[in-house]
Amino acid sequence: MSVQEKYQTLLELANQNGTTYQLSEADGVLHVDGTAPSEEAKQQLWDEYNRIDPDYKSGDLMLNITAAGASAGGGGNTYTVQAGDNLSKIGEKYGISWNAIFEANKDKISDPDKIFPGQELTIPGA
Amino acid sequence: MKIKFLTVLVLALTLVAGACGKKDADIQKAAQDKLSSENVTGASVTVKDGVATLTGEVADITVKNKAETAVKGTDGVKSVTNNLTLKPLPTPVPPPADPMLKGKVEEALKKAGCTGVTVDTASGKITLTGTVPEAKYTTCFQAASQAGGSSIQNNLVKGK
Repeated sequence: MSVQEKYQTLLELANQNGTTYQLSEADGVLHVDGTAPSEEAKQQLWDEYNRIDPDYKSGDLMLNITAAGASAGGGGNTYTVQAGDNLSKIGEKYGISWNAIFEANKDKISDPDKIFPGQELTIPGA
Repeated sequence: MKIKFLTVLVLALTLVAGACGKKDADIQKAAQDKLSSENVTGASVTVKDGVATLTGEVADITVKNKAETAVKGTDGVKSVTNNLTLKPLPTPVPPPADPMLKGKVEEALKKAGCTGVTVDTASGKITLTGTVPEAKYTTCFQAASQAGGSSIQNNLVKGK
């Protein structure tokens, strides 16, 4: 059975509840990227995923649904500064230079040595 | 007498066969119209003796199913042989480099309030390990799913 067949009821549900999505596939993993009309519609899809693949253990579906109106993604390309952080440390975390982060956040950071806990930084290239 | 009887028989058979053929053609037309009205593209249908056969290549499994349902619901169709194939899907957007991906997943988990999860990334594949409260299980997995990895090995355990 193909992964599309395995998750066909989930895709049918997405068609019914007004979720728009795009499919892609690699190495037997189905990627469903889309936008649901509401948080509730998104939850319906996750419930169906959990029904087909209890506790999401199969590793053959990447369900990436954003509810319309919600802020994009689950954290996407921003980083929240923690106490004790500095730009080099954050850069290391993402495998990029401190300067790249500084350049991408010049609107928020005037001095690269001064960042504050709770500040949201854009991570370039993420 | 014998000849007459045979003639009648042949005539009758021809009529029956002709009627059947016409009926199939009508059903086929109706089925094809139904596919069009359901916006199914890439599928064609032939009908023989009331058995409809779908052939062609369609975008995804939902279109394949929709085509079958539409043809099944056409008057005169006894059964449907669904030979539709699926268009190969495009490959996903490549995942970010592993350190970047790991950072994104960790940040997404943090934002979702998921603590106690260890994240590993290798060639775009995310591995999640640790115990999360049962009530947060889906939330945590969801957060990790939206970070752009190519797949997830989910070793999370539901705790209290």
